[in-house]
Amino acid sequence: MAQPTVLVVDDDPVFVQSVVSVLRTRYDVRTAANGTDALAAIQNDQPDLVILDVMMDHMSEGFDVARSLRSSDATSLIPIIILTGVDHVYNLRMEVDESWVPADRYLEKPISPGDLLHQVAELIGPGEARL
Amino acid sequence: MGETTNERAISSSRTRASTVSRTDVCNGSRADRFSYIFAWELHERLLWFSKLRWVAAVGLALASVLGPFFAMPSTRPSLAVVAALVAAYNLVFVYVLRARFGSVNDYAALRGVAILQMVTDLAALFVTVHFTGGCASPVLPFVVFHMAIGTIMIEGRTMYGLAFAVCGAAGSLFVMEHLGVLAQYPTMAEGQLSVGSCVLSMAMLVGLVFGVVYLTDSVTSRFKMRNIELHQTTTELQRALDEQAQLERRKSHYMRISAHQLRSPLGTIKTSIQVLLDGYLDPGSPEGHRMLEGTAARVDSLLAIVNDLLELAKVREGRAKAPWAREVSINQILADIFDAVDPYARDANVELVPHFINEGAAVLDWAVPPDLVYAFENLIHNAIKYSKPEGGTVTVALGIDRTHAMVVVADDGIGIPGDLQDDVFLEFVRAPNAKHAEGEGTGLGLSIVREAVQMHGGKVSLESAEGVGTTVTVVLPLHHVPPEAEEAVLERRRMDVGDR
Repeated sequence: MAQPTVLVVDDDPVFVQSVVSVLRTRYDVRTAANGTDALAAIQNDQPDLVILDVMMDHMSEGFDVARSLRSSDATSLIPIIILTGVDHVYNLRMEVDESWVPADRYLEKPISPGDLLHQVAELIGPGEARL
Repeated sequence: MGETTNERAISSSRTRASTVSRTDVCNGSRADRFSYIFAWELHERLLWFSKLRWVAAVGLALASVLGPFFAMPSTRPSLAVVAALVAAYNLVFVYVLRARFGSVNDYAALRGVAILQMVTDLAALFVTVHFTGGCASPVLPFVVFHMAIGTIMIEGRTMYGLAFAVCGAAGSLFVMEHLGVLAQYPTMAEGQLSVGSCVLSMAMLVGLVFGVVYLTDSVTSRFKMRNIELHQTTTELQRALDEQAQLERRKSHYMRISAHQLRSPLGTIKTSIQVLLDGYLDPGSPEGHRMLEGTAARVDSLLAIVNDLLELAKVREGRAKAPWAREVSINQILADIFDAVDPYARDANVELVPHFINEGAAVLDWAVPPDLVYAFENLIHNAIKYSKPEGGTVTVALGIDRTHAMVVVADDGIGIPGDLQDDVFLEFVRAPNAKHAEGEGTGLGLSIVREAVQMHGGKVSLESAEGVGTTVTVVLPLHHVPPEAEEAVLERRRMDVGDR
């Protein structure tokens, strides 16, 4: 059985390496460095989950990608986790007004590896543990 | 630097302020808080009224001379005496208003002077009424005129009291004349109105009508003028408030962006360390080592952001303490920068080309050398950094005329996208192609360049085309003397005098 696939979209290669090293213990992981590459990668091979950083090439690029996914029938059901570096109050405001930022989870950087795995498992299942 | 809108608004509202203390204004009742405005208004009106009183004195003097020709023989010498008394007490009032109340506007005292003026004027009027026909005197309507003027200057309650007193005085005068206690001085002869008295009445009516119109127009004009001034002041204050609110929003936005820029690398560092600590990566493995190297690089970028933020704050806030120096040579600064960046340029396969547009040394009367070095080095470093991968040319041109020096840094590198060219001098703005070409960068360099150039009274601008190159032009006035440098000059002079 194929492992669930997670697409990690972030322009910080060090952060991406950290997230990949955690997720690959249970999932297949692909990466993209910006919104354009992410949308192209999703069109080619749809992942089971997308993890998006908010700020990449421009402010709120992650939100733009999330809205684009939600607006297409082909991708509207892909679970999305948004990673933010902003304050907790801002996060709460986003959660209250879901129509503005359509995501399934919001995680604040820095992320805890255990919390990341737990959030992903809640959305697409636990995956298969790898050594 | 010129006055801000805020300073102009405050200045215009203070043009008529008294020396009442700020504590008095803030702690008193609403009327007290604005009494310094009312005092000035009342002072001006009392002076204006004094000018009218001269006209009245002249009128009374003329009436004393011409009265017999208008069937009023009793005006001579009585009205002459009244005219002299009016002129005398008017002199006293003018002296008191100018000398005693010239610089200090005590509203309560001024109000007392206004009431005293009213009472003395009404007394003079009733004497005139008595000598010009009593209840049939053509001067009687001027009592109404006088009360109207008084109501403009003094509040209603006092004027109602005066109105009762005036009516009582008039009634008493007429009763005493009728009872023979006081002599009568009628203007009618043998039960018929004389032509002279009719002409006089007509003249009085004309004078009164035009007087009331003049008074009303004067008052109305003053109200209109005050309303206009009030509206202008309100508009300026609102503009100042809007500017202030925009400044606060910008500061808040800047703080949010700065905090995010600092938080972002910190988030990466913490996550990487946690991943290693939790055992997801072996720090000794090649991949773990790469992650440690990346984490160290994030620490470096965090330090770079903090250093640039401090530099920007120093340029913005520390102007008064900046090390202003005399006779600073731009030629020398550029030559030193060329020596410093030459190895970096060679590594990037970039040719640095100096170009002198015209001969002569570009020497600024006043400058802060470290800030200019930072600004020009930043521009030249950027030009090298954002050259194309295969290399290129960076030309640094210097031109001067009688009043300005111009430095132009031109590259044939990756350029800046058109939609960002207006924003690149803002904090933390980096073009996407710049981030792709050179990951490291705080986005603060051009902000610091702009602040440093503006501090020297200059301007910086750029033209760019993506994929073609960028040209940045800095124009600096040669003879700009900043206020901060003036203070430094004064301080040095004070120290020299002290040493002697």
